[in-house]
Order: sequence, then structure tokens, then C-alpha cells
Amino acid sequence: MKPIRMRAQRPGSPGVATVQALFSKGWKKARGFFQALGKSAGTFPSLGNAAFVWLACGSLAAGAAEAPDVAALRAEVRGLGWLVFAARSAAGDYDLFLCRPDGSALRNLTQTPDANEAYPLFSRDGTRLLYRRLARTETINGNDYGTQGRLCLARADGAGAQTLGGDGEFPWASWSPDGRQLLCLAPQGFQIVDLASRKVVRTLPRAGFFQQPTWSPDGRAIVGVANAFGESWSIGRMDMAGGAASAVHVQDCCTPDWFPDSAHIIFSWRPAGQTLNKGYGWTQLWRKAAKGGPAQLVLAEEGRHIYGGHVSPDGRYVICTGNMQEDGDPAHSGAPMSLMRLCDAPLIIGANAALRTTHPAAKSGPVLALPVGWEPCWTLRELPAGGGGAKP
Amino acid sequence: MRVMYALSVVLLTGACSDLARSPAHAGADAQVQTLGTVEVTARLVEVPEGAIFKRDLYDYATILKYEVVTVHRGALKQGAVIYVGQYNPWKPRAAAADRKAPNLGGNARQFHAGRLQRLALATPLDDFFMGGLVDKYFGRRAGPAYWAVWTNDAD
Repeated sequence: MKPIRMRAQRPGSPGVATVQALFSKGWKKARGFFQALGKSAGTFPSLGNAAFVWLACGSLAAGAAEAPDVAALRAEVRGLGWLVFAARSAAGDYDLFLCRPDGSALRNLTQTPDANEAYPLFSRDGTRLLYRRLARTETINGNDYGTQGRLCLARADGAGAQTLGGDGEFPWASWSPDGRQLLCLAPQGFQIVDLASRKVVRTLPRAGFFQQPTWSPDGRAIVGVANAFGESWSIGRMDMAGGAASAVHVQDCCTPDWFPDSAHIIFSWRPAGQTLNKGYGWTQLWRKAAKGGPAQLVLAEEGRHIYGGHVSPDGRYVICTGNMQEDGDPAHSGAPMSLMRLCDAPLIIGANAALRTTHPAAKSGPVLALPVGWEPCWTLRELPAGGGGAKP
Repeated sequence: MRVMYALSVVLLTGACSDLARSPAHAGADAQVQTLGTVEVTARLVEVPEGAIFKRDLYDYATILKYEVVTVHRGALKQGAVIYVGQYNPWKPRAAAADRKAPNLGGNARQFHAGRLQRLALATPLDDFFMGGLVDKYFGRRAGPAYWAVWTNDAD
């Protein structure tokens, strides 16, 4: 495994031997150590997480012990296709990377030191990839990344990349179920764009939706973040047939994505009334029926906001990212991704007595720590070996 | 002659200053008098708890409640209560504009209940802003929300 080295080791930082010793005593303790290190770094609060993942991956590669349930999960998902995600490269820019769902076989797809790439989306059939390419000087914004830079289209392994339109065009573009159209979200409303002709073939009212729209796998609905259903960031659902919009979940939630059944969504939510984090609380991963019903906790972690939930195409696992910052920290070093089984939900990492009282049956793992990455996407399809170097 | 000239300048400056402070002209400038489709002098009724916060990772607009004192342009009526979206309200208006919300401005630096401000407004808000909205009046207000294009203090 080739870990992503996020930053050079600082003078006085602990060496790999120290890390491996910590790791062998338990990855939670080690991560806590590095989170504290990141806090003390000040400027880059995520540095600790990044260092942890980099060194943890190194430790695993070196054969360090891993909890048996984590090792079993790692082995279980290893052959289940590929993850694509954005992460900072050794050159300091953001590139797209592929890895196996267990974090192995990591490779850089784009290798563009003069540009940043972000927001990769496999088509539902796993044959193609959409992403955005920004100028190297432009910082990826956790709320606007779908409108930044230019939309790019490539084969799923990054080959044959081409740019579609200019800066800011095709905002928030995501795939139609059949891969022939794009769903875009502009101030004027939703736009369905025919990929072959690049023409808008249908529009729908915006209805307060403003970021992260995703088309359901069955093609019947859109979910996205909207400001029309509550006091602040809400998740809304729009019916594709008539354009009717309704709230899925309100108040401080975002990054919704569909389950393969098109009936449920996964999303991030920071419930009110938390006492941790100076009363601000931590953002957690939840699931809910898209047409309403009770929300169910999937993953909560003390000391980390969780974002970017993405359900595996077989509906059995979820991957996510997030850190002590609220956006996965794309402006800095990035943050580690995680993977868990949905049948293990709810999971609570850390003491969080209040949450454990509410969810007495919650487990504490297993959760795979994956490489540092942001907004991951999963395909079960096998990709050609090699590839990469996606430069339009 | 020089004395007369200086005296004239002083008197003219004072007159202009008085004019600017008069209710009809307070807060007036070229931008507030031309931008948007509605121009009012209005009193900020309140700043609800949690409506304005500084979080560097979030660009957002907050909905603030104003009572119209004077209508300069547009179809509003004196005394009307309006709801106005102010972008990144923790920033001085002169520093609020960015890629997400260009062409905003004004000399207002902060939002305090009771403050009189002269506003150039556009409507509906959704046509001008696609982003997070903090709306403490959600479900309790009627009518459109306006988008604050230019905000000057008018006290």
C-alpha cells in the first residue's frame, strides 16, 4: 500500500516506531494521540487525523496488529470494487485517487500539480466518472464545490478525460440513473442536461434547493440540501414527475445520498441539544426514508463531525469522511475516511454517555480507517489496472 | 475674497451634511438609490438569537425583520414589516460581497435592533442567492423575502 503522505514530518514529531507502538496498544488511543497533536498544531487541526491515517496505513502495511473484527471487515470488503475520492497529493494539490474499499491499492488518477480535482462521481454503471477541476490557487469550498471550476468527464479509471464547459458551468452536475443525462442545480432551477448534446432538455423549479442534489437510482426523485423547509440547512426531496418538493429532515443537515433502493437516504445531521463540543455538538450520520418517517442513527463519533455519507452500490456498507472541522477540511490537509457495515448500525465511537443512553444497543465498531480523502464514491465494477493521468 | 470662498465652502459642506442627515436623505448614495427594485429606510426590529454567527466554513444569509419608515422606490408602504436576507451578516457590508453573492455593499458595519438603515432591495431572494439561509421566522412570516443589495446606516 502506498499511503498518501500529507505533510512532511515536523521536527519533534513522533517517529513511526512510536506510532506503531501506540497502534499496537489500540488504534483509538493512537488516534486520540494524533488528534491532540493536531490540536496543538493549531493552524491545521486535521493534521493529527491525517498523520494518524498515513501512519496507521503504514503500520498496517508493516503488519501491525489490527482488532480482529476490523481485520475481518477489511478482508470482507477488499474485493468489492473501488472507491474514488479527492485528497491532497504529495505535490500539495488535490488529486483524485482510487483505492480498494479496504484502503489498499491506492493510486493517483489525475496527477495534475497545477490543478485541484474534487467531487468525483462514478456513473451508476461504474463505467464513467464526473468530477470538477479547479485552478490550483482556488481553495475547495465545502459548500460550493459543485459550482467551482470546470466539470470533467472521464472513463472510470480516469482515462480519456475531457472538460465540459467553462468555469462554473453545469453546477452541481450529477448522474442520471442511465448515465445519459446530468442533473444540474443553478439559481434559475434544476436543469436536466443531455450529455451527448450538452443541451438542457428539461427544467424544474429550484424550490429552495441549493447544494448537493442527487438523482435517485430509480430516476423518480431528487434529494438535496434546501433552505425552504426549516430555519436552516434541511434535506428536501423533489418528485421528478410533478416537481413537488417536501422536507425529508430539517435543521442542520446536509450531504444527502440515496440508498440503492431509492426509498431511503443517508445524510449528516447535527442534532440540537448536544452538550459535547462546548454545546455545539458533533455532526452524525443518519438514515431515513425519503418520504418521511423516523431518522435512525448510523454513526456518531465523539471528536469528529461526519460528512459525505455514501452507501455502497449493494446497500451493505457506508463510507464517509469528516473531522474536527465541519466540512471534511478540504481547505487544509483533508481528513480520514471511514467504512462500516450498515447492519452494525448504530455505531457510537467514544464515550458520549448521552447518546449511548438514547441508543443503548449501539455498538462501538468495527469501523475501518481509510486513507485521508474527501467526498468518496463507490463502484462495485472492476476497473482496468493502471490508468490514471486524467488530463483533458 | 478668499475668506468669502472659504465661508461658502464651509456653509455648503454643512448644508450637504445636514441634507444627508435629514430623514429623506440619510444614508443616501448612488448605489442605494439605483440598485435593486425597492429602496426603503427601515428600522431593524430585532436580531433573533442565533440569527447572526461567525463560522468561517459557512457562507450564509440570515433573514432579518425590518419596519419600513420611508419608501423611496417601489411599491411598499410606510409601516410595512418586511423580511430581508442579509448575506454573511457578521461582516461589514463593504466586505460582504464574494463569488457567491457579488455586487453587495453599503456602509453598515453591524446589525443592531432599533438601527435605522437605508436599503436597496431585490426580490425574490431565490433569484439572487443560492445558499444556506438562517430563517428564524420560518413558518411565521408571510410574503416574499427581500435580498439586501446595498445597506447603509441611516441613523
